[in-house]
Formats: sequence, structure tokens, C-alpha cells
Amino acid sequence: MADPLHQFQIQKIVELPTVEVAGIPIDLSITNSVMAMIIGTGAVILFFLFATARTAIIPGRMQVMAEGLFGLIDDLAESIIGDEGRHFFPFIFTLFLFILSLNLVGMTTYFTATSQLAVTAALAVLTIGAVIVVGFARNGLGFFKLFVPSGVPWWILPLIVVIEIVSFLMRPITLSLRLFGNMVGGHIVMKVFAGFVVALAGLGIGGVVGAVLPLLSVVALTALEFLVAYLQAFVFAVLTCVYLNDVVNLGHH
Amino acid sequence: MSAANDTLAMSPAAEPSDTAPVTTVATLDPVATAPADAHADTHESTEHAGGEAHAKGLPQFQTEHWAGQIVWLVIIFTILYIAIAKMFAPKLRGVISTRGSTISEDLANARAIRDEAEAQAKMSAEETAAAHAAARKLASDAKTKAAAESAKVQAEEDAKLNALIEDAETSIRASRDKAMAYVEDIATETASALVEKLTGKAATKTALKAALSKA
Repeated sequence: MADPLHQFQIQKIVELPTVEVAGIPIDLSITNSVMAMIIGTGAVILFFLFATARTAIIPGRMQVMAEGLFGLIDDLAESIIGDEGRHFFPFIFTLFLFILSLNLVGMTTYFTATSQLAVTAALAVLTIGAVIVVGFARNGLGFFKLFVPSGVPWWILPLIVVIEIVSFLMRPITLSLRLFGNMVGGHIVMKVFAGFVVALAGLGIGGVVGAVLPLLSVVALTALEFLVAYLQAFVFAVLTCVYLNDVVNLGHH
Repeated sequence: MSAANDTLAMSPAAEPSDTAPVTTVATLDPVATAPADAHADTHESTEHAGGEAHAKGLPQFQTEHWAGQIVWLVIIFTILYIAIAKMFAPKLRGVISTRGSTISEDLANARAIRDEAEAQAKMSAEETAAAHAAARKLASDAKTKAAAESAKVQAEEDAKLNALIEDAETSIRASRDKAMAYVEDIATETASALVEKLTGKAATKTALKAALSKA
């Protein structure tokens, strides 16, 4: 059976020189992971270019789809963050589309970039970085009130503050691991079941009959994985909204 | 399939170490100062061990691929962000808000037109009612006028007739009185004639009158 983990192996497509920044070697080669990002992002940009080429009051099919995605994230941002959500909409929408397109590229054609811990961790750090930047820009040093919830008895505060700080530090980790784990797990399971089909079918007539069950499972899993691909992108967007809301509406709750 | 891919995976990593002494994992190896063939050996064995380790563990933990991916991710993400923030989001928000305002405008227009139509309907109903009332008034006026006229005419006729009747009655009364006067005369004459015949002598006029007035 083929190694189910081999699908996550980074491979270079276009060899580019390695530069060293602050003692860290950065291999700028276009790998399959980078290629997946280019394909996904390129598809998103192409789609929106076509969808918004001729925007009309009475929309065409592509425009309806684009507006559907737009409305989904816009409503999300507005319902969680409030009126201020509009300022952060491009960032949240970019995150959502980026992750969704990478997930779908992995589901349909090519390499799953979101199954790379480097990618999910970078996205999570980017998100938390944006939260921290927004937090300081909006509240200055009041940002630290995030760790001191109001209405808590003073003698509990030391414990609460420690818990709040730890939970804040855990955010990028949970963000990255959730997406990473979902994509890796799903793809491994699909690969394993698909391997069963091939292995059993190779055994002869009885094997072919036995292969029907894993085949059906693969079909069902594929449907599930499409759902997960969408859901994880949505969850990432929702959590980004929640984290941004914490710092945007600091002290309002 | 697995073997072929493995060589594919390893060849790019192995190539630079052959051609150019760039910083790869191999040159970062602490045994870099070792003799050349030994170095090659260790390199080979680490590659191999690495390959096997990759086969067992998750390839995502090969940190030598991280930096490049993250740099590319930031670049690509930024491009997408700029495209969305500068082009797509404003355009979509614009068209959606335009649609919203168009719809509300149309609704307001429709509402205004409906109100106007209702007002006109009310006005025409009022006009109809007024016309009805006017017609009714006209009819009743005409009726009263006609009634008054006919009453006047009737009164005139009545008066005329009454006068005629009065005249007739007076003339009748006159004739009767006259006749009555004659009746008295006749009675007197008759009575005198009767008394003369019965008694043979004429009765006095006063006695006759007294008898007649008694009768």
C-alpha cells in the first residue's frame, strides 16, 4: 500500500536560490506547497475578476456566487464585531478565501497546502499578529485589560490573569493545529481507505466484493472532507472575528 | 511509485550540495569539518536516515521547508489581500449598496405612486359624492319648486273656484231669500184666500201675519 503520509511530502518544482536572513536559510524554491497556494489564490483572483468584471444591479451567476461569499463573511464580521467589522472585512475575507481555496485545491486537484504546519502556523501567527496590532492601535496600553476581566474579586485576579494570558498564547497554537489536524487527518483517512480498495481489489473476485465497503467509505469521506474544507475555512474566519472583537470592543463588555 | 517519488524528493536536496556549497541542511551539519569522503558518507547516511524518518513521521515536521513556505505564503497572502481590499471588496460592497438603495428608492417610488393613486381615488370618490349630493339637491329643489308652483297654481284655482262658488252661493241665497219672500206673500195670500173662503170675510193683515209667524 502506498504510504498515506507521502502526499504531504514537500517537493521542489522550480529550483530557486536559498537566501539567508538573520542566520535563517530561506529556500525560495517553488515547492508543491507554494504552487498550491499560487493555484488557489490565482483561482480566487480569476474568479473575482470575472465575477466583478461587469457588476450589475441584477447580478449574473458569477456575481451571485461572489456576493454570496461576500455576504457570508460580511454578515459574520458585522454580527460578531459590530459596525467596526467593516474595517476588518478584507482581512477576514482574505483569510477565508485563502484557506478555502487551499483546502479545495487539496480536495480536487493538487497538493493540500493547509496540511502543512508551516502554512497553518503562519496563518495563525498572522491572525494573532493582526489582533495584537489592532489591539495596541485601538487601545494603546489598555490592550492589557484583555487579560484582566472586570467584575472579578481581587483575590482571584492573579489566577485569572495567568489563565487569560495562557489562553491568549494558546490561540495561535489552537488555530493552526485545528486546521492542520483536520486537513491532515481527513486526507490520511481518505488515502488509507482508498488504499484498501486497491489492495482488496488486487486479491481477486472475493477481494473486489470486499473492496465495495471501503469504496463507499471513500465516497462518503470525500463528501465529508468537502464539508470540512469549507467548515475549517469558516471556523478560522469566525475565530478571527471573535479574537478581533475582543480587542476592538475592549471594555464594552 | 513510492521509490520513484523518494528519489524525486531527494534529488533536489542532494543536487545543490553537489554543485554549489549553499547552506543546506547538509552543510549545517556539525561534522562539516570532517574529511571530504567521510562527510559525503555522513551526508548520505543522514539523507537516508532522514528519508526513512520522513517515511515514518509526518513530512510536515521537516523544518527545512518551513521558511520558504512562510515567505511565499506572506507574499501570496498579501497579493490576495491587496486584490480583495482594493478591488473586489469595494466593488462588491458598492454594487450591493447600490442595489439596496435602488430597491429602497423603487419601493419609495412605488409607495408614493400608490399613495397618489389612493389620494386620487379618494378625491374622485369625493367628487362623485359631491356630484351625487348636488344632483340630489337639484332634484329635491326642482321637486319643491314644482310642488310650490303646483300648490300656488292650485291655490289660485281654488281661490278662483271658491270665488265662483261664493258667487253662486250668494246668488242662490239671494234667489232663495227672494223665493222665501215670495213664499210668505204666497202664504199670506193663500191664507187670506182660505180664510175668506171659510169665513166669507177677509182677514186682517195683522192677524194673518201673527198667525203666519206662529206657524
